[in-house]
Amino acid sequence: MSEGDIRLEGLVKNYGDVVAVDGISLHVPPGEFFTMLGPSGCGKTTTLRMIAGFERPTDGQILLDGVEMSSTPPHKRRVNTVFQHYALFTHMTVAENVGFGLRYQQVGKDEAKRRVDAVMEMVQIGELGERRPSELSGGQQQRVALARALVLEPPVLLLDEPLGALDARLRLDLQVELKRIQEQLEVTFIYVTHDQDEALTMSDRVAVMKDGKIEQCDVPAKLYEEPDTAFVANFLGSANLLNVEARAAGDHCEVMLGNFTLRSNSSPEQAGVGKAMIRPEYVKLEPQGADGENRVPGMVEEVVYMGFHQDVRVRLANGDLIRATVPSDGESPEYHQGNAVAVYLRAANLRVLDDSPEKATGETADQADTAAA
Amino acid sequence: MSAAAAEQGATAAAAERPRFSLGNPWSKPRWLTGITWVYILWSLLPVLLAIRVAFNEGRSRTSIDGWSLKWFFGDSNFSVFGDPTLQDALTHSLLLAGLAMLIATPLGIMLAIGLQRWRGRGSGPSNVVALLPLVTPELVFAVGLFLLFTTLLSTIGLGTTAQAIGHVTFSMSFVVVIVRGRLVTIGPDVEEAAADLGAPPLAVIWRILLPLLAPAIAASLLIVFALSIDDFVVSQYLASGAETTTVPMRIYAQARGAPLPSLNALATLMLLFTLLALVLAYGVFRFMTRGEKRGSAIEQIASIDSGGGR
Repeated sequence: MSEGDIRLEGLVKNYGDVVAVDGISLHVPPGEFFTMLGPSGCGKTTTLRMIAGFERPTDGQILLDGVEMSSTPPHKRRVNTVFQHYALFTHMTVAENVGFGLRYQQVGKDEAKRRVDAVMEMVQIGELGERRPSELSGGQQQRVALARALVLEPPVLLLDEPLGALDARLRLDLQVELKRIQEQLEVTFIYVTHDQDEALTMSDRVAVMKDGKIEQCDVPAKLYEEPDTAFVANFLGSANLLNVEARAAGDHCEVMLGNFTLRSNSSPEQAGVGKAMIRPEYVKLEPQGADGENRVPGMVEEVVYMGFHQDVRVRLANGDLIRATVPSDGESPEYHQGNAVAVYLRAANLRVLDDSPEKATGETADQADTAAA
Repeated sequence: MSAAAAEQGATAAAAERPRFSLGNPWSKPRWLTGITWVYILWSLLPVLLAIRVAFNEGRSRTSIDGWSLKWFFGDSNFSVFGDPTLQDALTHSLLLAGLAMLIATPLGIMLAIGLQRWRGRGSGPSNVVALLPLVTPELVFAVGLFLLFTTLLSTIGLGTTAQAIGHVTFSMSFVVVIVRGRLVTIGPDVEEAAADLGAPPLAVIWRILLPLLAPAIAASLLIVFALSIDDFVVSQYLASGAETTTVPMRIYAQARGAPLPSLNALATLMLLFTLLALVLAYGVFRFMTRGEKRGSAIEQIASIDSGGGR
């Protein structure tokens, strides 16, 4: 049986009156690359620290391979952590850092040396063994931190924004490498980040967190294409959010946007007064007068040149502002302020969102931008 | 017209070679430099004079009178190494300083770690209380200890033990300041990392925390030594007789009786010890934290320097 099955049940952490983690339940099967994504203060790091054992849960359970471990001290847990700021032992050499944990496992000297060498080879710091951590670059230091944890062959590896302190270029390299190592070793990764690109590119599944709760948990494509809430829609990529009234119509919804009736393929259960979402890349601009389903007339208000695409902001006839991404592919027409256009909002991409009141507060700059009518 | 031209000329000259003026923010702060040097010289002057007298040929402590080393070794009755009372004082001072070093440093380290970890009710006030000896007038502190050892703790009584306890008590605060500064630099991450990798709590302290604290520990040892060997008030109040006389007490007592340049020689030796301790503290700290980020090391040294300024 493969190891590394993590189950959280009703996990709660309070600091005095502050609720940091507010009842998290999730299941991570062995070998999964699972990411907790959210803005700072959403409780993702606290959750990770509870799994590692640095914090004791106020309530709830943490099970590793079916065994409850929330009262096991960190040095007895079979999980290891990679810290954001590396937390290397500066008074030891790189090899001593990597071999540190083996001393506390019944591992012979030769065996220890072999494992240290192997893991250092794997993370490509094989030749740095005799250096001190202070002589290494940030990326190399993080590799040491990774090797130090992996040498113990933990069934679960916890990573707390491990790329957060690195520059953009290095992050990309290490993202690829982390994913490769994870697939090669088939270790369960629980990865904490606030970077949506990291979450989308590496993870098997992502839990988007907000205010100590999981907002939505799914595979990256599903989260991006079919967000349940405005918060998720905004946190992953950018989104146009429209205030609408949705009515059930057979197996789909009819969306009332001002005087326009649009079709959305969302489930009719979502009907009600709320928000509809469409990603800017799905908003198609057509010549004025184009008709057909889901066309709304509008006028170009602003065009922002972004290099590989243009960000076109169109004022719809009902008064809403909507953003459309027009690729700079040499075929799409250039738009200018004042152009009259027809905006095509495809039914398959127009989603009616869960907009219960307590979830509607997660407005980001993006949404405010769209709503600034 | 000519006035305007002259003004223009003056402006041009000023632009070429900026002169000091309150209105010119680019001028070199020569006055500040000057004042600083005057202060430094003024503060060193009495010390230099006292040292100079230690090398006198004659018996005068008030005038400069030839060169010799006789007040250090030469004179068989009155030099530092000839006069047994001066030698005893030196031995006693070194004994007290050694005791203070070996007791105050470990206690201070434990106190610092405890204060650093302690979160919640009472941790704020105890932080302040632990540092109170830094600002308590030493005389008040010494009088208090004197009362304590003559009444409540009369089983201990006055003497070497009381003096050592006194020195430990006031120098511990400095250890706490130095060690806590270092603890902040180290941060909680490494301890968590060590525990995460399987090290039980005691191993975390021995293999991670203490090695990382080593520079602060070395600095603390030497600072405590310097503080103790310099101390007069506490030593004086808690002394029980001739055999518990320290060097500063000896100097103070003899200066009013029959002063000889040998006192200056003794004081010079003391100064040398203290300076050596401070320079060692600084050097060891710099050496042991080499390669670490500059800013943090400077912070550390700043905290040592403020500690040495007592």
